[in-house]
Amino acid sequence: MRLIHFQRASGIDEALRAGSVPDTAFLAGGTSLVDLMKLEVLHPARVVDVGRLALTRIDSEGGGLRIGALATNTDVAQNGEVKKKLPALSEALLSGASPQLRNAATVGGNLLQRTRCAYYRDLATACNKRNPGGGCDALQGWTRMHAVLGTSDHCIAAHPSDMCVALAALDATVRVRGAAGERDIPFAELHLLPGEHPEREFALAPGELIISVFVPVTPQAARSRYLKVRDRASYAFALASCAAALHVEGGRIRAAGLALGGVGTKPWRVPEAEAALIGKAPSAEAFARAAEIALRGARTRPDNAFKVELARRTAVRALRRAAEAT
Amino acid sequence: MADGPQLKPPNGDASHGERRERQGLCKPADASNAISGGPWVLAFCPGPSGSTCPRPSEALLAELRGLGASLAVLRPDGGTLLRPEDSPQPLGPTPALWARHGAPPDRATLVVLDNEGQVRLCRTLDASADVEWMLLRALRDAARALAPARRVGRRELLVCALAPAVAAAVLDACAGAPRGADQRPVQTASSGPDLTDVALVINGERRVLRIESRVTLLDALREQLGLTGTKKGCDMGQCGACTVLVDGKRIDSCLALAVQHEGREITTIEGLARGEDLHPVQAAFLEQDAFQCGYCTPGQILSAVALLAERKGQALDDDAIREGMSGNLCRCGAYPNIVAAVRGVAGRS
Repeated sequence: MRLIHFQRASGIDEALRAGSVPDTAFLAGGTSLVDLMKLEVLHPARVVDVGRLALTRIDSEGGGLRIGALATNTDVAQNGEVKKKLPALSEALLSGASPQLRNAATVGGNLLQRTRCAYYRDLATACNKRNPGGGCDALQGWTRMHAVLGTSDHCIAAHPSDMCVALAALDATVRVRGAAGERDIPFAELHLLPGEHPEREFALAPGELIISVFVPVTPQAARSRYLKVRDRASYAFALASCAAALHVEGGRIRAAGLALGGVGTKPWRVPEAEAALIGKAPSAEAFARAAEIALRGARTRPDNAFKVELARRTAVRALRRAAEAT
Repeated sequence: MADGPQLKPPNGDASHGERRERQGLCKPADASNAISGGPWVLAFCPGPSGSTCPRPSEALLAELRGLGASLAVLRPDGGTLLRPEDSPQPLGPTPALWARHGAPPDRATLVVLDNEGQVRLCRTLDASADVEWMLLRALRDAARALAPARRVGRRELLVCALAPAVAAAVLDACAGAPRGADQRPVQTASSGPDLTDVALVINGERRVLRIESRVTLLDALREQLGLTGTKKGCDMGQCGACTVLVDGKRIDSCLALAVQHEGREITTIEGLARGEDLHPVQAAFLEQDAFQCGYCTPGQILSAVALLAERKGQALDDDAIREGMSGNLCRCGAYPNIVAAVRGVAGRS
């Protein structure tokens, strides 16, 4: 790891002031940033520790739950209100990483989690995220863990977060604060597609700090489920995952949330797939149709072609579980 | 093989420059000046500074760190005090130490003193000897010599504690000594442009470290505090060998900066037992033979301690134990016995 200038922020204003200096990174739990600094994939000159800011609360607010950016993954996953009203969020968090990492990792950090693409993490290889314009060795490389949706000719790195998949399906909003004040970002707009500029990953202005996440509490959210398929029973990144939320009334689906993980370059929510479910009976056919729509446009490589069918089946099963949830 | 190089005879140490070993022949340190708190290594080097004096190589520092020892390189006209975590400090002349240990004026002499100030090892070297190499060897031998007396693992020690006796003589010599060109600070983990004081409560004891901000909690424990029970496995948050408790919660110490945890209570494997009484989870790992090579074991045990606390009052079946312990990998594959050990403690509590 390179030398850093370290500063602990005692308040949000202090953090924003310190964070406004170029080449500064905010440090929360450290499970992502410290890892990537040790690999020298990230090498900020200055690190501002925001880990002690009073942003850990989980409160009810106007039809939803507001989750502080510094609540740990464990805090959120074990919170009684979250388990009851947003079960997919709790399930997604508990399916990710290990107990040790969940105790340190925060919601804000998880929103900004970097890809686990092996080429991104290896300085000896070409990566457009790490070194813009430098090329991408993954394109001709080992791609079992790579994305099939939202890819470009410059990057096929998969988004690694489980939590983000649940937040996408649950229609969350991210509140950030910066020099220009506070603003709310719809979840679908937080993460950027790689396109021509894979190095641009988030719709955040320099120095903006994530304050909280708001998740609406809805009938479908209370019956939401998260299903993750991976190479090991635990402690592995998703090959495919799905967060599904269904509100079924009178035998018909009234509201639906559907997002996929492990297959997209960002948490993959497809409004058309959700729309296709509305008004339908919760049947295998309806679920298969929605899954088909969700995987439209997939571009595969020999190592990850299996993901299309795997993700479809994962989505169908997650939707079935959500429909069966009481 | 007959045409190969001749092996030196087993007693051919002299050809390496070691003239004779005088274990027990040196005068012990004055009882009134008894040393406590950490071993000392005194290297008496008759020649001028330079070729005949050991330099603070990484290997030398590592041995000192392992012993928890301080090294004084003593020349007739002065010397250097070397503690593993500090920059070298210049020393003035120390005639009292030369006289006390009977160091000859023409050959290098190495003396190792234990916590009580007793001479554990004393060697006089040939003029032609490579002092640095002999010092390394002496330190390694000293580790063996010191272990029984200390009744603790060679690494379980108070790094850098100032031993009052020899320290007094040496520190007297420190005062006013000029800082020469050969006494530049060595580059260690504790030097750099961004040094910061970090207070941590380690196993109930408040410790203040002067470290770079980039030092991880794991490296601070192992390299600064000598608490090497916490293991470095993957060093990237994927194996759990570095698991410690911070304010009672388990984390991977390799993915945390020490400075992040300023003021917090850290529990390592060294802090679990109460005297001779093992923690119940430690005892269960022994009972169930829940390890083979043992490298992942401290992390496994800390993780199990945390799991049992997290699930206090709740049923913990084998699946829940496996999931709860999933952040700790064991390459020997001792998992069935690890699960049995955790199950055993869970069943009793």
